[in-house]
Amino acid sequence: MSTLQESPPSPAPAGKKWIRITQVVDGHDVEEWMLVDDVEGIAWPARESLRVLNTDIRRVDAPEKVTGRAVYAHDVRLPGMLYGRLLLCPYPKASVSLDLAPALEVEGVEGAIELDLGGNPTGYLGQPVAAVAASTPEAAEDGIRAIRAVYEEQDWVVTFEQAIAEDAPQVSSRGNIVRPGEDGDLGEARAALEQCDAVVEATYTLPVQHHVCLETHGMVVDYRGGDEALLYASTQGTFIPGREAAQHLDLAPSKVSTTVQYMGGGFGSKFGIGAEGRAACLLAVQLGRPIHLLLTRSDEFLMAGNRSGSHQELVGGATADGRFVSLIQRISKLGGIGGGSHPSGRPYIYEPEKHHVSNQSVMTHTDSSRAMRAPGHPQASFAIESMVDELAYAIEMDPLEFRLRNLNDPFYERQLDRAAREIGWYDHRYRTKPGPIDREKATGIGFAVATWGGGGRPACQVEVRIDPDGSVVTSVGSQDLGTGTRTYVAAITAEEFGLEVAAVTARIGSTDYGNANASGGSTTTSSLAPAVKDAARNARLKFLGRLAESWGVDAENLAIEAGGEVVDRGGDRRVRWRDACAELGATALVANGEWQRDLAGNGIHGAQAARVEVDTLTGELRLVKMVGVHDCGLPLNRRALKSQINGGMIESLSYALFEERVIDPYLGVQLTADLDNYKVAMTGDLPEIEALIDDGDDRNQVIGIAEGAIIPGQSAIANAIYNACGVRLRSLPFTPGKILEGLEALRS
Amino acid sequence: MTVSRRTFLKGAGGLAAAGTAATNAQAQDGTKRLSGRANIELSVNGESVEVEVEPRTTLLNALRNHAEPALTGTKIVCDRGTCGACTVMVDGEPLYSCMMLAHEAVGREVRTVEGLSEGGELSPLQEAFCEHDATMCGFCTPGFLMSLTACLERHPDATREQIVSAVDGNLCRCGTQPQVVAAALAARRGGAK
Repeated sequence: MSTLQESPPSPAPAGKKWIRITQVVDGHDVEEWMLVDDVEGIAWPARESLRVLNTDIRRVDAPEKVTGRAVYAHDVRLPGMLYGRLLLCPYPKASVSLDLAPALEVEGVEGAIELDLGGNPTGYLGQPVAAVAASTPEAAEDGIRAIRAVYEEQDWVVTFEQAIAEDAPQVSSRGNIVRPGEDGDLGEARAALEQCDAVVEATYTLPVQHHVCLETHGMVVDYRGGDEALLYASTQGTFIPGREAAQHLDLAPSKVSTTVQYMGGGFGSKFGIGAEGRAACLLAVQLGRPIHLLLTRSDEFLMAGNRSGSHQELVGGATADGRFVSLIQRISKLGGIGGGSHPSGRPYIYEPEKHHVSNQSVMTHTDSSRAMRAPGHPQASFAIESMVDELAYAIEMDPLEFRLRNLNDPFYERQLDRAAREIGWYDHRYRTKPGPIDREKATGIGFAVATWGGGGRPACQVEVRIDPDGSVVTSVGSQDLGTGTRTYVAAITAEEFGLEVAAVTARIGSTDYGNANASGGSTTTSSLAPAVKDAARNARLKFLGRLAESWGVDAENLAIEAGGEVVDRGGDRRVRWRDACAELGATALVANGEWQRDLAGNGIHGAQAARVEVDTLTGELRLVKMVGVHDCGLPLNRRALKSQINGGMIESLSYALFEERVIDPYLGVQLTADLDNYKVAMTGDLPEIEALIDDGDDRNQVIGIAEGAIIPGQSAIANAIYNACGVRLRSLPFTPGKILEGLEALRS
Repeated sequence: MTVSRRTFLKGAGGLAAAGTAATNAQAQDGTKRLSGRANIELSVNGESVEVEVEPRTTLLNALRNHAEPALTGTKIVCDRGTCGACTVMVDGEPLYSCMMLAHEAVGREVRTVEGLSEGGELSPLQEAFCEHDATMCGFCTPGFLMSLTACLERHPDATREQIVSAVDGNLCRCGTQPQVVAAALAARRGGAK
């Protein structure tokens, strides 16, 4: 991204103002100052006057999805198209020599390429080294198997313990422990522990989690020679693949278009085109035919990113009256050849009086971590929320009470109280110490809270077009990951014109439309919704101005009422929407909109509670109920919002109970490279789930929600297990075996 | 010699194939053709669909990659019988189409998500999916719909337990399961109770 001068180029004339906007020029983000109408005072309508927004809105694209008509990148079939497959290196590190000739002998195989390693050995388990294109996926598999590959295995590390061992094989030239950072004063934090009534020292670990997008990574490259190409990409950012692919297709970025009408999940892992996208481009160039290269499920597990694992050593101290006095925390992020994630270098959410937090990345010869829904936050949450819980029980204080004292925030107070009521905490028998284990089934309750930004930025350019036949089309390049983008683009426009949502067409997911930011960090809604509102408002004002002119009346007196009826309050004219639009004559009316700061907020909270039942004989864990209470400013679509909260809770309970990447430390083989061995929560595993919107948040601004909902679930479950039976689990996933071990320890 | 599914089928040649064995010559468009290919006739959503497949081609890949026009509503996710995204109905039974060879479906009635809405009208279950927000990214949706259609055809008054059990072999990562169950309950005979 280019840098931009801090202040606008000149003072803005009356009625205008400068805003910074991100434009895509030749496929690159360029920040520019743009002069726009000064719509100071632009605001969302008061909640009670909303007709469409903040209600339960049906997704506009649901019918496409339930009929199978929605076309995803995987579903694209073009004339002459070939299917691509990758050959992955089966060792964590190896030098590779390949003979592709046997692959080209295979029936159906049309081309094979070696992927450029720059003369170096591979760097991680599963790194792709070659690609094949064939007339069917089956033939492409045959081609991959036919490649004669000679691997010379080199020394490697795949676990935290191996990486930090003395004389360990080095992952990077800087060593295995990189990017150290620290915050706070260790001496002060240690001294503060001295005055504490309770001190807890514990290590918390989380395994690598996979995104498990149902649609694997990849794209279809429609390039048959010439100077233009079209990509069908499964991506979280419509405008990213084109500019990356252009380099490998040797085309001007503006000549590579991308369409993302539907995409099967990303969760943070789908921004760039990756090795699979590069291979698809190179095969297309070599063969002059469209290439369909979507990863197999096993390739997806090995090379498409993951949530970094985490190893955290904590010492915390509290006084008997419930003050969180001191925290010493040492964080190791386990992101393979990537850096891994942890939010900031400070204590997470809670603010102990003294702290020292140090962090580092520990590298292994495994796939790089990527952003995954709330990068670093679930890891941070698990360590700190477990510590907070341990301290509360150590001073025999209600852990809810301990949280409220130390959070001291009206949002958390309201949300924790709501969660506590819904989960039944106030009627629960064991609130300052765990329940006894001489019961067959031990029931327990636990809590945790979340934090996220979710603010927006100027990035989206939206167009609203009103046609003389009465149709309204809102277009912007932004993508819908299943979050409901397409629906609120239509809904915001409908609200502005008094129309039904179905009367507005939302066109999204294409580089043919205005620029939009990628969907990461819950920034889509807060960046896009204000621009849609601005465009719709501009279209409405322009439309009424045009009518006023043609009717010879004062535009100030014109208004649009429910049903799209245009009313002249100065006279008694009432004109139906279609008839009013017909007065536009032969040309459609077009208006544009940009991000408006006042329409977007920033900063969300969230509290979750879990109720579990532990079988004290078998260690079996039954998740009985989960409650999530979340704020996001002004909800646009309550139904989609609840679905997002449900989704976050389900993904986090799945991490809590089942998910764990396992790599054999002796063989360097990933044992969990398929959905048989990498277990994800299914419908039968789910508890009763209550997703609640915190309507006590009266900010009339939109904020993203996706990340917040996934952060605290596993922490609440761990705390519920302790509350049930006194077994403190400090490592995910919470398997019956671990619970049973804990129960045994308590009994002996 | 061990007999794998593949060598077995190779030996069996056309097996249940109805139609012509493919030649191994250059096709008219210049692309190489694979040996062992045969034209078979499937019955999908009440219509005859002719596909040219190999003995090893799964029903899933036949629908997605060989049927004309393409039947890509049925999704490929794990390709090994774990996730349920490729669920179709074969003679009324819900089946993972990645675990059935295309040849095995000859002479049987295959129903896919494209066949759920008669005359363009959404089925009550599809309608309930829309109403209860049971679709997010939508990639798992066709599989869930087929499992539940089969369940509700067999048990029009299905209990919540029967519904949960019917979709327990369908994976969803966005977390639509609560809405899916709510939709299925609403689509039962007489609606949700």
